[in-house]
Amino acid sequence: MPDFEEGGAREVTLKINGDDFRILVEPRENLREVLHDRLGFTGTKEMCDRGACGSCTVIMDGRPVVSCMMLAVEAGGHDIETVEDIERKQHPLIETYADHNAMQCGYCTPGFVVTAKALLDRNPDPDEEAIKSALEGNICRCGTYPAHIWAIQAAANRLKTREA
Amino acid sequence: MRRFKHFDASSLDEAVSLLARFEGRAKVIAGGTDIVGTLKDSVLPEPYEALVNIKTIPGLEGIRNGAGVLKIGALTRLEDIAHNETVQTKYAALAQAARVVATPHIREMGTIAGNICQNTRCWYYRCAHNRFHCVRKGHAAPGQSLECFASDGDNRYHSIFGDVKDCLAVNPSDTIPALIALGATLKTTKRSIAVKDIFPPSDEPTKMTIIDSDEIVIEVEIPEPQASSRSAYHKVAIRKSIDFPIVNCAAVVDFEGDVVKDCHICLNAVHYKPYVPERAEALLEGEPLTDEQAATAGEAAVWGAKPLPMNSYKITMAKGLVKKILIACREAG
Amino acid sequence: MSDELNIMESEPLVRDRYVPKEFKLVGKRGVQRRDGKEKAGGKALYTRDVALPGMLYCRLLASPHAHARIVKLDTSKAEKAPGVRAILRYDDPELEGKALEGLETKFNAGHIASDGQAFLHGKFELAVTQEQWMQGGGRVLDGFAWWEGEQCGVAIAADTIRQAEDALALVEVEWEILPHVLDPIESLKPGAPPAIEEINKKNNIIRKVKIEEGDVEKAFKESDQVIEFSIKREPYTAAEPEPMSNVVLWRGDNVEIWAHQQQAYDGKMLFCAKMGIPLNYVKLHIPHQGSQFGHGGNPMMHHTHGLHVISAILSKRTGRPVKTLYDRRDTFYGLSQDAEANTKFKVGFNKDGTITAVKLDTIVAKMGQYGIDHFMDNTRIPNLLLNYLEAQCNIPPAWWMRCEQNHNAFCLSAVFDHVADALEMDPVEVALKNDGVEGRDMAYLAAFKKDHGFQVRDSLAEIVEKGKTAVDWDAKWHAPGKKVLPNGRLHGIGFTWDHEWDDIRGVSCVGLMVNVDGTVDILAQKSDVGCDYMTTHCRIVAEEIGLPIEHVNWRHFEECGFQMMTPDGSCNLCVDAYASIAAARKVRRKILEYAVTPTTLIDIEYPAEFPGYKVEDLEIVDGIVRVKADPSVQCPLSEVVKRATVEQAGTRAPVFDWAWHRQGRYGVQEGRHRLCRQCYFAEVEVDPDTGEVEVTKFVSVNDVGLAVSPESCEGQQYGGAYMGVGRCLGEEVVFDPKTGVKLTGDYIDYKVFTIRDIGKTVNILHESGMGWGAYGLVGIGEDIATVAPGVVGNALHNAIGEWVDEHPVTPARVLAAIDKAREKGIL
Ligand code: FES
Ligand code: FES
Repeated sequence: MPDFEEGGAREVTLKINGDDFRILVEPRENLREVLHDRLGFTGTKEMCDRGACGSCTVIMDGRPVVSCMMLAVEAGGHDIETVEDIERKQHPLIETYADHNAMQCGYCTPGFVVTAKALLDRNPDPDEEAIKSALEGNICRCGTYPAHIWAIQAAANRLKTREA
Repeated sequence: MRRFKHFDASSLDEAVSLLARFEGRAKVIAGGTDIVGTLKDSVLPEPYEALVNIKTIPGLEGIRNGAGVLKIGALTRLEDIAHNETVQTKYAALAQAARVVATPHIREMGTIAGNICQNTRCWYYRCAHNRFHCVRKGHAAPGQSLECFASDGDNRYHSIFGDVKDCLAVNPSDTIPALIALGATLKTTKRSIAVKDIFPPSDEPTKMTIIDSDEIVIEVEIPEPQASSRSAYHKVAIRKSIDFPIVNCAAVVDFEGDVVKDCHICLNAVHYKPYVPERAEALLEGEPLTDEQAATAGEAAVWGAKPLPMNSYKITMAKGLVKKILIACREAG
Repeated sequence: MSDELNIMESEPLVRDRYVPKEFKLVGKRGVQRRDGKEKAGGKALYTRDVALPGMLYCRLLASPHAHARIVKLDTSKAEKAPGVRAILRYDDPELEGKALEGLETKFNAGHIASDGQAFLHGKFELAVTQEQWMQGGGRVLDGFAWWEGEQCGVAIAADTIRQAEDALALVEVEWEILPHVLDPIESLKPGAPPAIEEINKKNNIIRKVKIEEGDVEKAFKESDQVIEFSIKREPYTAAEPEPMSNVVLWRGDNVEIWAHQQQAYDGKMLFCAKMGIPLNYVKLHIPHQGSQFGHGGNPMMHHTHGLHVISAILSKRTGRPVKTLYDRRDTFYGLSQDAEANTKFKVGFNKDGTITAVKLDTIVAKMGQYGIDHFMDNTRIPNLLLNYLEAQCNIPPAWWMRCEQNHNAFCLSAVFDHVADALEMDPVEVALKNDGVEGRDMAYLAAFKKDHGFQVRDSLAEIVEKGKTAVDWDAKWHAPGKKVLPNGRLHGIGFTWDHEWDDIRGVSCVGLMVNVDGTVDILAQKSDVGCDYMTTHCRIVAEEIGLPIEHVNWRHFEECGFQMMTPDGSCNLCVDAYASIAAARKVRRKILEYAVTPTTLIDIEYPAEFPGYKVEDLEIVDGIVRVKADPSVQCPLSEVVKRATVEQAGTRAPVFDWAWHRQGRYGVQEGRHRLCRQCYFAEVEVDPDTGEVEVTKFVSVNDVGLAVSPESCEGQQYGGAYMGVGRCLGEEVVFDPKTGVKLTGDYIDYKVFTIRDIGKTVNILHESGMGWGAYGLVGIGEDIATVAPGVVGNALHNAIGEWVDEHPVTPARVLAAIDKAREKGIL
């Protein structure tokens, strides 16, 4: 049973992809497990569970953060964006990732896509160095790294034409 | 992962009284990237009872450039420090250090105060499920004597300046060497203290810093370096991202022409606390900083080092790193 | 044209005789990856993501000791813990006789052995019985642990993961701690404690192998020069991205399994054998797999039937689906096959660069590779001697991990670079001088190629030219330790070569179902570990039938009676592609037959779509059936299908066909030489002060025979480069020497390399058509990660002027080598 005393389990409102989710969480639950195991945002993957791989990345208030190292009780009130929203809104990254083969097993890929989206939000025209800097916290065991550079630059171009 | 309580503090006073209430069994959580890991791994025999979240306290985040001093709020994210223009130009060593902490994602969460107060990465201490109940963890059962498993274990990443009460773990912080070389001070709820003085005396190895369990860092203050000074930082690690340092080093050198007027060097990950190689500093001052001089300073920096069976390479590395950083300072102009 | 309908026979020594002259889709760039959007958008479902209503979560106890026996297990407190629904203990009668091994299925000694000619020639000597040897992993849930972290003792299923873990913390275990041994050399010394008494009480020898070709001793005497050296390689692990899990649901007499396994159907067979359940009562789902690199196929690991048995028993007892999960530390469960490998080399050679004899003494922990194989498979070196020993240790089970050639490729690299160094010769020249097969030279190989219908091309000579240009070899190669860059770093450049893995082996089958709208479903179950098999086979099927690629899709994950080999980027595609080509040609013929044949449905007669024409008169282009001589006579393929399939009230019989292919025995077919070559170049910079290494450029040139999906082949190239460079410079499973506890249990301490860790990769595909696979292809994917540690090692030697003979090449080892080079006056 969760402990409901002061400082124990409590209700928080998570604002995920623009929708509010009011749920009861224990302090020890991290945001990744709440998103993935409880709310069904299965695009937020568990790989290392220690903040080292980026596969559980979500965008929180504009920052790419690793949800496995964030307590869910502390995530209330912040804007959380997951890969599901990026997909639903048909961000060009989804298409360019498929075009450029920027995946193998694909397990890490949503984490890369979310990180890349956060990058493009801040920097619409990233060069190779900027992309490497943004992605250096994402582990791809399949080693797909170079393809991410191509896919992200292609998405940046599509965004530019879309705006023009 | 065991249960713990969690409180969102709305003011420093509230946070302090919460911490005091738990008499040392509560910890502050800021970015959480270090403490959440230790909780997940259940590294301690007796876990913390509570976490006090200070991110809910307004006003602790941000960089302010005041008269001759830079003030960095305790909760300022490392990524923001790394990309701050003032930091990049005037406090280069700090920008460089903040830039290479862990990963970008961790830097978006992790705070400067957290990076200063972080726990050790000793792989015995941090091994999951408290597999190694070591001297650093204390709490010996009656009749049990605690040891440092690194002393006759795999100590490739451990101290080269000896043990402290048998413990060979090192301080892994990236930003501390830069802050010490830059002469930074911490403002806490209890005092104002130079960063170089926050480390425990050698008879208290289980603590990373002397900051009390009910004390909270509020701000880091760094005096503006001389216009004629230059600073640099570098970390040696296996990977170019993610990794904690095998050895890292920062230096601030004030030049008069080619001659070193004043110089501050700080190594880390070589001892239980950051290591200021005073001999090296002394020999540089008043002399031109040639390559040879830098190499000699490297030699002097590791004076008195005593390697463990697996880490004599760290001495060579520290030597080389000091030389490299000094040359980087010279070239930075 | 009629050729195109011919199907390759299952004949291991014959190349594909029916390769189309031109391709529309096969080998073309710009085809969008079939599972791309699904994966990028987070919609691809992995086993870890599977959640069923009412599902329980199960966690297992992991041994804190490297070698221990459970004396007492008290689960009474755990039983009362909140949310706990079932507990399975090692002493449960239902676990009786459920060993973690794979003897019931195809697994046998040959399977475990090193692949390649060495397997055919080696003399085995098992120190234990074959059954014992196969018992590498104990029982499904044992009362003892053979390594730290071994899952044993108890499994607890609860409503949430947290509750299962809380309950596990309440389990009280009294252990009898037994002496352990970690190091294979220590383990072989007299008086060493038995690592696994249950298997062998006497000593820790598992297996000895001796391979001898020619007479090395005589050759050493006759050689111009003889050198000796040794190397040691520390273990690495798969570090597969998706942590292990499975879900099992017991429904009445039926069982449903969601597996995370590379050879999931093997897992099912083992599970059925152990549980006494007929195969047709078990339904297997294989969601996408967060890659495994071969590692997940070990029948002796929990990965296969172990977890299934546990989840199934718990599901039966609770009436609920059960998901058993490993955390990241648990998932670092096995080691690469050469858990730890030590090899001593003695090499004889002549002044002109021809190598005359190679002798290897190899000792590995647990299970490994000989190291000699590739000298047999792709050199003309006539005299070879291997003495090989496997030693039992208290470390996790070892298994193939990208791939079974690790040590073989490494030894080849080491020998060639040492010889080139000793002769001060360009290593590319030394490679070209010694290319051949099984002790025979290129003239023999040329005749062989001709005899077997291949074009006679010199694969190695062709690819080294491309690679040398890409890396600017002639300008950059220099004497070891002799180039300091303006930034003060030491510059190094290295080369190595090998054959391209074809590994044509095994069986594959596939069904094709044509829907009434003219689209095609590929029916075959396999694990998607990321090699882009969907796009590849959709291309092949669309190409062969004559469809736009969008008209073909894959019914993945589900059992449908057909199984294809996994993965597919690498070796298995050779066989898998034969099967899909054959099925597509059969379906194509069927469609054309329908097109020229009238159909009768009870009382209605439908005339043929192309009355009066013969099959040979028609073609299918872009989903349109038309007359070759007069393409204006045409109709959509869907019309032919609609008419041909018998429909009533919405149900219909499909246009359907299937095919299978088998290609030789497991390992390599006697006499089937490997004809394609691969070569690599690496450029490094070494900081002499700090020992830091930067791999600035990594060039792969792979003669893949033919690249069906070029972008995916390149993906295997740069992907393998990152893994291989990581293995060379950082990846290492470290155990505490005193306790045997693993110190590298997460992604912070275990070093998987990042985007920052290689400056640039150059990926060149070469297509000589000299593969035994369909269309003349060979595999790609295992090679690069396997060979990279060797080539980066060579580049480091070129930079430092001294060998680093222990891998991984950490800064500590680099600094030691620099010291040595300075002492010798090289630097
Ligand atoms: S799973 Fe969160 S960073 Fe790896
Ligand atoms: S695609 Fe497999 S881990 Fe990145």
